[in-house]
Amino acid sequence: MYREHDLSYGFLGIHLENPFILSAAPPTDELEMAVDGLKAGWAGLVLKTTSVEGNPVNLKYPMMSSFGTAAHKLWGLGNIDLISQYHIDEICERVETLKRMFPTKMIAASIMGSQKEDWQSLVWKLKKAGVDLIECSFSCPQGSMGEAPGRMLAQSVEATEKVARWVKEAAENTPVLIKITPQVTDIVEIARALKRAGVDGITASNSVPALIGIDVETLEPRPSLFGDGAYSGMTGMAIKPLTLRTIAEIARNVDITISGNGGAYSWSDAVELMAVGASNVQFCTLPMHYGFGTIRDLKSGLADYLDRKGFASPLDIVGKALHSIKGQEELSAPRTRSEIDLDRCIGCGNCFRSCTDGGHRAIEWNADKRQPVVDLEKCPGCGQCMQVCPVNAIRMKEELETQTHYFQFTGSR
Amino acid sequence: MQDFEKTMDIQRATIEAERCLYCYDAPCMAACPAHVPVPEFIQSIRSGNLHGARSILQEAHPFIETCGRICPEEAFCQSACARGKIDTPVHIRQLHRFVTDATDAADRIELPGATAGKIAIVGAGPAGLSCARELRSMSFVCDVFEDRQAGGVPSQEISTRRYPREVEQRELLFLMSRFVSHVHVQHVTDVTRLKSEYDAVFIATGLPAESELKIEGVQLAGVHRARELLRKMRSGTDSGVGDRVGVIGGGNVAVEVASMLREEESERDVVIIYRRGMKEMKAFKKEIEEATALGVTYQFLAIPDKVIGSQHVEGLQVTQARLSCEDSSGRRSFDALPGSSFVIPLDTVVIAVGQRPDEGVFPGIDRSPSGLILVGDNMQTNIPGIYAGGDIVRGARTVVEAVCDGKKAAECIAAYVTGGR
Repeated sequence: MYREHDLSYGFLGIHLENPFILSAAPPTDELEMAVDGLKAGWAGLVLKTTSVEGNPVNLKYPMMSSFGTAAHKLWGLGNIDLISQYHIDEICERVETLKRMFPTKMIAASIMGSQKEDWQSLVWKLKKAGVDLIECSFSCPQGSMGEAPGRMLAQSVEATEKVARWVKEAAENTPVLIKITPQVTDIVEIARALKRAGVDGITASNSVPALIGIDVETLEPRPSLFGDGAYSGMTGMAIKPLTLRTIAEIARNVDITISGNGGAYSWSDAVELMAVGASNVQFCTLPMHYGFGTIRDLKSGLADYLDRKGFASPLDIVGKALHSIKGQEELSAPRTRSEIDLDRCIGCGNCFRSCTDGGHRAIEWNADKRQPVVDLEKCPGCGQCMQVCPVNAIRMKEELETQTHYFQFTGSR
Repeated sequence: MQDFEKTMDIQRATIEAERCLYCYDAPCMAACPAHVPVPEFIQSIRSGNLHGARSILQEAHPFIETCGRICPEEAFCQSACARGKIDTPVHIRQLHRFVTDATDAADRIELPGATAGKIAIVGAGPAGLSCARELRSMSFVCDVFEDRQAGGVPSQEISTRRYPREVEQRELLFLMSRFVSHVHVQHVTDVTRLKSEYDAVFIATGLPAESELKIEGVQLAGVHRARELLRKMRSGTDSGVGDRVGVIGGGNVAVEVASMLREEESERDVVIIYRRGMKEMKAFKKEIEEATALGVTYQFLAIPDKVIGSQHVEGLQVTQARLSCEDSSGRRSFDALPGSSFVIPLDTVVIAVGQRPDEGVFPGIDRSPSGLILVGDNMQTNIPGIYAGGDIVRGARTVVEAVCDGKKAAECIAAYVTGGR
């Protein structure tokens, strides 16, 4: 009944019917699941990372943990997972099967190796199977193999450049993405190394190395396997701001294609990632939480957004926000004041308390009416009250001679 | 027995606690007669600090076990909840109940030496025991005079479905053993004598007597008084009433007795007969909903004329009424429709039309025409050193209001006794 909005475009020469890709993770580690995901409408997938023989995959369960609030348990998701337990030959068979079943979808595979021969033989096998794109994990939080075991490849500029060259040399015309970690001192250096190596793009970025928690009753780390635990790779909503900065920082400094990954949970998160430079967006925690069916909302939400904004293609979003990301010192200095809409105010007093104990003591409290009153002399317009107002009744107002400007709260959807 | 309330576990309670906006100068706290710092105890639930939550409740409120179960939140805290302006009010009482169910009362209590003076408290209900707890915490010795079962209305006249025995016992044992020095099983009718033996006296007897319905036939066999039946059933004795019961009244006692009679015998028909409409009933909405869910039915706009029967009840003759304009209580009143009377066939009539003080007690204490004790702002009667609170002052009200009186009286008594030295 509803007109299908065309969300298709080209990405590194590959046709994408929409920008939403299933990332190299548990949702793509079984053929049946990959098939279901693609049938549901995802534009493509990256099969979970595989490697060569001789690299044992010793998984430890339970591997998942999370943190959040009672109502939002999965604010951040952690895993101590490793690469796929499936051998490269099995993965190649799957690539062939999936390409046959879904000729218009992007079928990519992710690899990880140690020696040059490992990397290159993985690439040759995948090319032979007809893979659309090869992603290389330089950033498994449990550490890479080879160069510096236990450390991530993408934490070393030299190793990153060297290995990326090996891969691209073997891949020839097949596009190569290198999946990097945000946990480096200078992400731009890594991106520049990859640009020099001649790879086609960067997947920014992998899960964030993290310690998910400590059980305060037992003082054991989470997850705890009989008392012992390890650092996890963290994903989910909690890491989106980190991913945004990583992508923006690369895009502002290096001319290279970026596949966005890490923390997107909705179509608008995807728009954010694209606005700072990603050409498509990979998802893992969202389908792991709410299933492959989430693609429907991603597509219709994006379609509606494009219509509203008058964008013809998702590509029109890419990098649109970059020109306005600047150093703090370059920003203009508006003189704003808090303005509280008392018709919307429900009298909870959070703005008053927050300003009193964490702001500039610029809000007074009318106890009889249960209403906040802004002291315009004291208020510098910091915006803290706006963050804590549960009904978005507060905005920052700048009065210029000719016009009035408002700074609105734009945090949550 | 059917518990209408889903018991919260820690996950449910935490999700509910996260809905709290943690209002500054919180309106829920102001709406609570005992001024429980609601946002603070809810924050402690949110952080998983249940003992912290308990200590906040415990310090503010002597009857926390009881109020966690039966406080009519719709009339107090929840009616003011700012969250209700976004979606629905936080389930404050259920969170309160979660804390009292999940934690223990007795540990971590520390009391000062009992050196400040000796106070006589007449009545071991919510007002009296609250007063005793507060006074004991301020170093007074408290003797309680009570000739009935301790605990007042909740212990005697509320369904064990809503207020289980073990909750009652936990509360009373804690209060009586920690804060009361001596219990005199004694019916006190003259407090001036007590005043000579104690530094001060607090009267908190509640309303022991039941109002009578002045219609023909109330002396027939099969006519019962509601509170008598409630006490009987709460104590575990069969009510012994018939299968077609009419309960006359529209207050909480009428609804409570109707519910309990339905629960006692599933084949029994119980109809509440009330002169006005459902909206005008004084009973709390939630209790009416529970009664309805238990199968209680209603005959509204029916004015009782007389109980029919030769020796035993055979029916109740009523006259049809229509609602008229609002009266002083803000509820619509009623007018009889002449010539419209009809008979409701019944084998039992239960009268639940109100309660009142005993007559002829407390000579010398000023009382209102309806027998309620008159007190000033400081809860003191016309005789210095004699204070009163709870239902004997307010008329039939809630536990939390009695608690509020007990707390306030304790402060005033302490000021009186120490100031007098």
